[in-house]
Amino acid sequence: MKGVIFNVLEEMVIEQYNMQTWNEILASQTAEGIYTAGESYPDEELFNLVATISDKTDIPVETLVGAFGERLFEGLAARNPSFIEAEPTLKGFLKSVHSVIHMEVRKLYENPNLPDFEYAEDADDTLLMRYRSPRKLCILAEGLIRGAAHHYDTLITIDHPVCMHKGAEHCDLIVRFL
Amino acid sequence: MDTQDQENAYKIAYEREKRARLKAEDLLETKAREIFLQNDQLRENYDLLKKQQSIILQNDKLATIGTLAAGMAHEINNPLAFVKSNIESLGRYHESYSRLVSFIKEVSTHLPEAEQNNLKALFDEEDIDFIQEDLPDLMVDTIEGLTRVRDIVMNLRSFARTQSSDRCAAHVVDGLHSTLKLLNSELKNAVSVKLNLAQVHEIYCNPNALNQVFLNLIINAKHATEGRENPTIEITSRDTPSEVIIEVTDNGCGMPPEVQKEIFSPFYTTKPVGSGTGMGLAIAYGIIKDHEGEISVKSTEGQGTTFTITLPIHATKEIEQTDN
Repeated sequence: MKGVIFNVLEEMVIEQYNMQTWNEILASQTAEGIYTAGESYPDEELFNLVATISDKTDIPVETLVGAFGERLFEGLAARNPSFIEAEPTLKGFLKSVHSVIHMEVRKLYENPNLPDFEYAEDADDTLLMRYRSPRKLCILAEGLIRGAAHHYDTLITIDHPVCMHKGAEHCDLIVRFL
Repeated sequence: MDTQDQENAYKIAYEREKRARLKAEDLLETKAREIFLQNDQLRENYDLLKKQQSIILQNDKLATIGTLAAGMAHEINNPLAFVKSNIESLGRYHESYSRLVSFIKEVSTHLPEAEQNNLKALFDEEDIDFIQEDLPDLMVDTIEGLTRVRDIVMNLRSFARTQSSDRCAAHVVDGLHSTLKLLNSELKNAVSVKLNLAQVHEIYCNPNALNQVFLNLIINAKHATEGRENPTIEITSRDTPSEVIIEVTDNGCGMPPEVQKEIFSPFYTTKPVGSGTGMGLAIAYGIIKDHEGEISVKSTEGQGTTFTITLPIHATKEIEQTDN
């Protein structure tokens, strides 16, 4: 997992609580807690941090990961505004994630371990995003989509009828634009 | 400074440092992206250079072979001329010799018996009857062998040709049509031919020589598709303001890269011994070079091959002016 994800998690904890809370969370970890945006860190470090935050705040992991997804969008958008500027609509942006954004990320980092997205549009007001990743972070993906919807000031609903956590080999995230 | 102020000062410094770090990371990403793009461009240029170097090496090699071929053709042609002339003389001498043998046989009956026996013994000892019988065959075989040598020399000269005789303004598409007509019986029922022939700019060329190129390419394409499902040859023509481009594509067996490198070399053939001279594409190469054009090949094993011929249009006026 790239360090930038840890950086945004740190920002969220400091914003929602304070720096002392983040320091306490880091102190309870075996990892050093120094994260540089472009560096890769073991996935377990992030999962351990999320579990500790969940324990400390009494927020269920799933809710926490979803909320982090929303905040993560904000953090990534602030660091890479060009991707947002290039797409005037939420739908256009979501469709550019795989072919444009992930492509650009691959230019910057070797083996970024990005999730795979496939798209289908059955109707004008819906977009099916088929998510595949060994990390099974579909809840984070949902949060990121909600964060993007917030940024584009677009009302949406997300259905998640097929899920890797229920034994499927992919997740279907059906985004309906209201 | 009280504790509150001190904490604020640290917080302000922390936020300043954080902004600096974000800026540094952004700078790093920008530089990484620039390096990636430059690396991409370098890789592309490197591949292009490698390809061009390989073409230059191939052209150099073929030019050297062309010079060698021209020299060899000249050196072989001289002795070939007097060998052929001598063989023709020998043919005539043989007729005289045959008449003499017949005459001796005829008059020998008037000789004394002892002389007749001596003559017969000499005929038997020298196997004159067999020589009489074998000589015509030997002459035929020798002339056939010499004809083959002459054809090889002619092919070598075609490969190394430098003369631009028999040129006129012509439409190469007309040449393609007449070549296809010539090959009609060879192609029908064997391969389907798709034509995508736009009428292209007239060029100053040797139409017969170009037809020989088309014929070689189409025959090769037909051979390549033998035994394939839905064998197809597609021939296209198009032009740009400066060039006429002809493509002959087949869905045949294709060629591995090592074969593609050698196909324009004289005497290189993948056909079984005796089935091909290995001169077809070498001659085609020579003819196209003679027209200041280019011939190239793209092939994928198991999928097919495309030969592309590019002929300059500008040559028309320049050559006309030179000729005048």
